[in-house]
Amino acid sequence: MTPQEFLTQALERYERPLVSYARSITGDLESARDAVQETFLRLARQDFKALEPRLAPWLFFVCRNCAIDHCRKVVRLAPAEDDDVVPDPGRSPADDATASEDAEQLRALVEKLPEKQREIVRLKFDAGLTYREIADVMKMTVSHVGVQLHHAIQTLRTQWQRANALP
Amino acid sequence: MNDPRITAYAVGELEPAEREAFERELATSTELQHELAETVALAEQLTAKLGDTADQLDDARRAKIFAAAHSGEAHRPWARIWVPAMAAGFIALLALVSLQTRRESGTSETSLAATEPQGVDLMTAQTVLAKSGGEPAGIALAGQATPPHPLLDAVDGTPPEFDVFIKEGKAAPSDAESSETGALLAEAKNHLEEGRYDLASRHSEEVLRRDPYNTAARRELEKMSTEVSTFASNDAFNETRSRISAPFSADAKRKAEAEVPAAPQSTANRGVWANTALATGWDSPQAPGQVGGPTFNTEAYDSVTPNGFLDVAGNPLSTFSIDVDTASYANVRRFLNDGMLPPSGAVRIEELINYFPYDLPAPAEDAPFSVTTDVTRAPWNPGHLLARIALKGRDVAPGSLPPSNLVFLVDVSGSMRPENKLPLLKRALRRLVDRLSPKDSVAIVTYAGSSGVVLPPTDGNDKAKVLAALDRLESGGSTNGAGGIQLAYETAREHFLPEGNNRVILCTDGDFNVGVTSQSELVRLIEKERESGVFLSVLGFGTGNVKDSTMEKLADSGNGNYAYVDSLSEARKVLVEQMAGTLFTIAKDVKIQVEFNPATVAGYRLIGYENRLLAKEDFNDDTKDAGEIGVGHTVTALYEIVPAGRKLPAERSVDPLKYQTARTREPAPASEDLFTVKLRYKAPDGDKSRLIEKAVGNEVVEFEKAPVDCRFAAAVAAFGMKLRGDEDAEKFEFADIQRIARESLGADPGSYRAEFLTLIEKAKRLHEESGASRE
Repeated sequence: MTPQEFLTQALERYERPLVSYARSITGDLESARDAVQETFLRLARQDFKALEPRLAPWLFFVCRNCAIDHCRKVVRLAPAEDDDVVPDPGRSPADDATASEDAEQLRALVEKLPEKQREIVRLKFDAGLTYREIADVMKMTVSHVGVQLHHAIQTLRTQWQRANALP
Repeated sequence: MNDPRITAYAVGELEPAEREAFERELATSTELQHELAETVALAEQLTAKLGDTADQLDDARRAKIFAAAHSGEAHRPWARIWVPAMAAGFIALLALVSLQTRRESGTSETSLAATEPQGVDLMTAQTVLAKSGGEPAGIALAGQATPPHPLLDAVDGTPPEFDVFIKEGKAAPSDAESSETGALLAEAKNHLEEGRYDLASRHSEEVLRRDPYNTAARRELEKMSTEVSTFASNDAFNETRSRISAPFSADAKRKAEAEVPAAPQSTANRGVWANTALATGWDSPQAPGQVGGPTFNTEAYDSVTPNGFLDVAGNPLSTFSIDVDTASYANVRRFLNDGMLPPSGAVRIEELINYFPYDLPAPAEDAPFSVTTDVTRAPWNPGHLLARIALKGRDVAPGSLPPSNLVFLVDVSGSMRPENKLPLLKRALRRLVDRLSPKDSVAIVTYAGSSGVVLPPTDGNDKAKVLAALDRLESGGSTNGAGGIQLAYETAREHFLPEGNNRVILCTDGDFNVGVTSQSELVRLIEKERESGVFLSVLGFGTGNVKDSTMEKLADSGNGNYAYVDSLSEARKVLVEQMAGTLFTIAKDVKIQVEFNPATVAGYRLIGYENRLLAKEDFNDDTKDAGEIGVGHTVTALYEIVPAGRKLPAERSVDPLKYQTARTREPAPASEDLFTVKLRYKAPDGDKSRLIEKAVGNEVVEFEKAPVDCRFAAAVAAFGMKLRGDEDAEKFEFADIQRIARESLGADPGSYRAEFLTLIEKAKRLHEESGASRE
């Protein structure tokens, strides 16, 4: 496989989930795109063959660092802001015009989760990583990933039921 | 319930040992079952809906990424760690070297490697760097002169970490001890790749014994244990999950149905629980990570590039294999009846054309089939000609058919449960069984997570026994297609009738999700089995999860045919009216080669048969597999021909050759022929092919005067071209197609052509709607 083919395939497979993941960290689409661009620029300089078996965790790990880095820079530039970067849960109506109501609601609930859980939910369900891979990306133990994801699911279930409770 | 195992189980992440324990608890606790059902439902919602298609890069950023790949910034792993480090200071360099040696000789003080193999290196590297250089690695690296992306490479320090991460276990050994471990490790890797897990693990363990901190060996072991457990337990897991969930999913279903009338006005308020209980994997368990159920369309079609026009000078020969399949027509009909235009990959024009019976002359005494040709004008482009090549297989009186040894291989996985799958299949097979003669034998093999013989080969006169076995078929579990196929072929071979028709009839929705699932591997498996002289028929069922491409390829490679059964009437057509054609092959590996005459033809294109094209050399090569023709089958191929002197549409120009003068082959002495058709075929049990040849003159019949069947086939071809969005058919309207079809209904036995008229009407309306919504 040529580097171009490798990159093309990696983009096809991971571009969308990476941008979504980065956006859940940075809170806005443009910085998320910056982070993903950086991620792929770094990928272009890697030994593809060696990287291939753990491409997914590598991409999300690097992307996570780029996104977090970006947040730090923003904080440095604007010290008035709170240290914890609060993502913007509101999306422009145009973004979601085509998304179904359920999907919109579900995403909004995911956005409200604590930072770590939000990331794990995205990595598991949107990007399709295994617990082991998530553990590598987030630098936590596999069992911790399991516990966090379970908490997230519990919260989502409760909130979803509340939101959709019968009148 | 605060038990992370619920979530882990729902997403398929529970270790095998824990899984068993969990399943035992699950069986006794309704509360746990309820929790699990809701968790699975939510997990599937999240998988399906979390992704936002708006989250994409823009073109500028994408271009930059590709530019980086081109600009020779490609990977220089060591340079990126060593060079900047040297620039930053000698101390840092020394630190890395000593880290490397220490790690490899196993004297590293840190024992973190045991619990967190990945990423340890950076931590250690940074600590060492910080200790010896007094500065953290990131800052030390920032001193490099002109890095390609100084910020990226230096400030956050992530790439070096991953470079180390990648390089582990590959670094040059520094002493005798580690060179031995290196060799052991390489061997372990080989064993793992070849699936010899015991040897691989023994080697890796040996490495770990010598060097407890060898992360590469540890990772190898880890990988192995996942591979082994996935291999062994997927089956059992899918099976158990569906078994356990069966009782309470029925319960959830009842509850959900009871809930619906409670809030009849507001579907939005009904919540996803009611919906998902019905729509999620509980009805059709699937491999983890797959999304199923009526809400998500997971049908798979190969993309098709329509055959373009070829110029005769460069391509005097056109070679392809015949195709008697009709599945695509039934599938297209299903789409249109459901109010959708079919995806273009689902439209195989030759299968649309060959769906209809045509009235063709019976073959001569000794030939298995007859060949009919016509030349008329293409209705969608009067400047072009349309040539029809039609074959008809010999008819055999029902009483004189050879005995059959049939093995029904029935997919009883969970995805087959819907009314239009297994229940329809059972009704369809009853009709076939009714027709069996006492000489025939029938067996039924089922497959889901595991496969088994539910009816051993039974005489055709013991119909009650066969029907009883059919009645007992029930769905549940995952789909291990490969295992079932092997067992079915074995059963067929055991009762092989040397003089008879030996055939496996695979009935499935084609979604093989356990065991050998890759299409090419299944194809290889079937190609191997084909040698035994057992033929294969594939009957496709169902909607929403049809793996059309898998089923077609299986039938092709198994010397067989593929039909799609969407209704009881289609079942009657395939299994009763055309039973002989479906089940009795009269000629195999039938290939067609057409040689066009450059004196009369400028160019041509074959309509359809895109996935049946053969190289010109394949025609005379008897080892090349091709299509089969059954009793009474008809096969039609259409060529659109550009007469000599006319320009080909959208001809792509090629510069004239520099080192050769245009080498025109010497024209044969003034022939007025348009083309010559050559056919090769083998007897069903033969290895050597026979040849039929027929020259076709340049006598063009006006379209209106062409034979009824020829006109009807042209209408069907145009219909297929329209559905595919073919440019050449763009100006030809559905109304034109309707007119031609209406005028060429002929006798229409079975009213299939009349039904075609209604499909044109539906396609026309849908096409207008989609056109309107685009504007």
